[in-house]
Amino acid sequence: MDRREFLKKGGAVLAGTSGALGLPLLTSCGVNTASEDSPLAGRKWGMVIDLSKCQSDCTACLDACRHENNVAFHNDKRWDIHWIRKVNIRNQESEDIEKSVLLLCNHCENPPCAQVCPVQATYKREDGIVVVDHHRCIGCRYCMIACPYNARFFNYKENEEWPNTDFPKRSHGVAESCNFCAHLVDQGRRPACVEACEAIDIRALHFGDLNDPESEVSEIVASAPVKRIRDDWGTEPKVYYLGL
Amino acid sequence: MQVEFSKIEGRSAAFYVAAAALAALGIAGTYSTYLLSVHGLYLSGMTNRVPWGLQISMAIFYIGLSAGSLVVSGLYGIFGKLEYKPFARIAAYLAMLFLIAGLLSILTDQGRVDRVFVKPFTYLNVTSMFSINPSLYSGHVLICIIYLWALFREKGTLTKIASFTVCLWAIGTHTGTGAIFAFVPRELYNSALLPPSFVAAALSSGAALMILVKVAVFRGTGRPMDEKLVIWLGRPLLAVFLVCTLYVLLIENAHRFYLAESREAGMFFLFGGFHSVLFWFGLIIFGCIIPAILLFLRRTGTSVPWVVFASALVVVGVLFERFLIVIPGLIHPPELFPGWEVTGTVLWEGVVDYSISFYEVLQALGVLGIIGFAFLMGLKFLPLAPTEARALAA
Repeated sequence: MDRREFLKKGGAVLAGTSGALGLPLLTSCGVNTASEDSPLAGRKWGMVIDLSKCQSDCTACLDACRHENNVAFHNDKRWDIHWIRKVNIRNQESEDIEKSVLLLCNHCENPPCAQVCPVQATYKREDGIVVVDHHRCIGCRYCMIACPYNARFFNYKENEEWPNTDFPKRSHGVAESCNFCAHLVDQGRRPACVEACEAIDIRALHFGDLNDPESEVSEIVASAPVKRIRDDWGTEPKVYYLGL
Repeated sequence: MQVEFSKIEGRSAAFYVAAAALAALGIAGTYSTYLLSVHGLYLSGMTNRVPWGLQISMAIFYIGLSAGSLVVSGLYGIFGKLEYKPFARIAAYLAMLFLIAGLLSILTDQGRVDRVFVKPFTYLNVTSMFSINPSLYSGHVLICIIYLWALFREKGTLTKIASFTVCLWAIGTHTGTGAIFAFVPRELYNSALLPPSFVAAALSSGAALMILVKVAVFRGTGRPMDEKLVIWLGRPLLAVFLVCTLYVLLIENAHRFYLAESREAGMFFLFGGFHSVLFWFGLIIFGCIIPAILLFLRRTGTSVPWVVFASALVVVGVLFERFLIVIPGLIHPPELFPGWEVTGTVLWEGVVDYSISFYEVLQALGVLGIIGFAFLMGLKFLPLAPTEARALAA
């Protein structure tokens, strides 16, 4: 066998194997692409959190979120799930400056979690909300590895509580994170945390369509000195902070 | 070059004890996986801050070990070293088993094992390294089977083609495995040097394991083997791989340490806790430097017992290296608020702990038991081992 024949046959074995294994890769292209007539298209939901109004001892939004979405709490830091959580931070240069920051999924425009999900269980909807299909998730936890904000959680244990029977709870073995209460947004409402904050008249949380220049969130983002967490990472978060 | 292969007898008490022990481990591991899939992964040592643990570390360790076939088939198929042909069958069989071990480790680490056989095919995501890699691993297993078949049937041309293909594919397999970590935005993960570093460590552990397996098979069966063949695999081959591994690790850590933005993470990796002890002593000193010195020194590098000792150190050192790829990058917190320190939270926000649980150890040993059992059965029922191995010059 001369060199040409060797390369030809070697190439054929390599191409054959790659082709056989690559076929599913090609057939899967195009899944979850946007369609123009979708009711979700054209919107880009975002949130603004005003830290000057948010009170460090208030847990209204946290409680509302946990109740609305049946978020598991096992009273164990290792396995508790927090779609939204509070973090107290202190300035390293002047120690008397402290802040209480709400952290939740940033619903990134470039979500690393969706990029790495091997089964497209995590994906970005056409309206920009990053969701998890709990019936598709295989529980590999690669999304948790990829999320630089530690905003994703895993159901290590079965969730025994089911306070809101209008919303499903998740089985153990799947990942989850804040989904901006997509089920409420689809009904024309706002996320449970935003509604709870408004109900007690604090109004630190604002939610709306960032594509609509007249929405409250667009106006704040356009006029006030808002910040996003680690804007330099290129993930393009859709959660903005006032007073961070 | 005519080489005779034969099955081993496999009737000694030692053989039966080893097979029974490995089978028992396999059963224990399977039971542990069953418990985790029924009750939840909280039984493992993993948490919401450290979502990957021993199983993923073991998966990438096994996949790296399959590089032994890359070394042997490369020597034989690309560099035409016919004296390594006697080892080709064992190398290809072991590579296949280690890739299966890697896939088994990943499979048993999933939260919903029941979905793994359907969803990745129906909703494949081409941008995920976790989608690309199983294709690479399965392809690798397939090529190893073709390679083995060609070797068994003494098909000269196909053997050369398959051996050449295994080499190309294996580079993809090991690069892809490194990319699982390198392609995510975590400070201690995202390094373009991680895939080449993975390949270098895979070649080291693969070559070291080939040395151990060959010596064990030949000594265990009392078949004659020219020591030169083992010595040459150790010196210069394994020694050179070790130097390459050290070089890439040095550059990777120096780069992290040099840049202000990653210095804190670099300091944490090198001097931040128990993992640093594993890095310096388990990997660098006992896993790379001491074996490299033993192999380069003429007196120890030409003695089979010393080469075997050095190879055992390398295999253990690379096991630590795999653990060090996965865990420190997770226990180190991302810096969400530069210039601020976190003083209070409901979640573990700072540096967290990870400790291996009993169930994880059982799972890892279970995978080892299954492939160890399959290896013994392979030796008994397939003509894998040569009746003798000679250096060409001899």
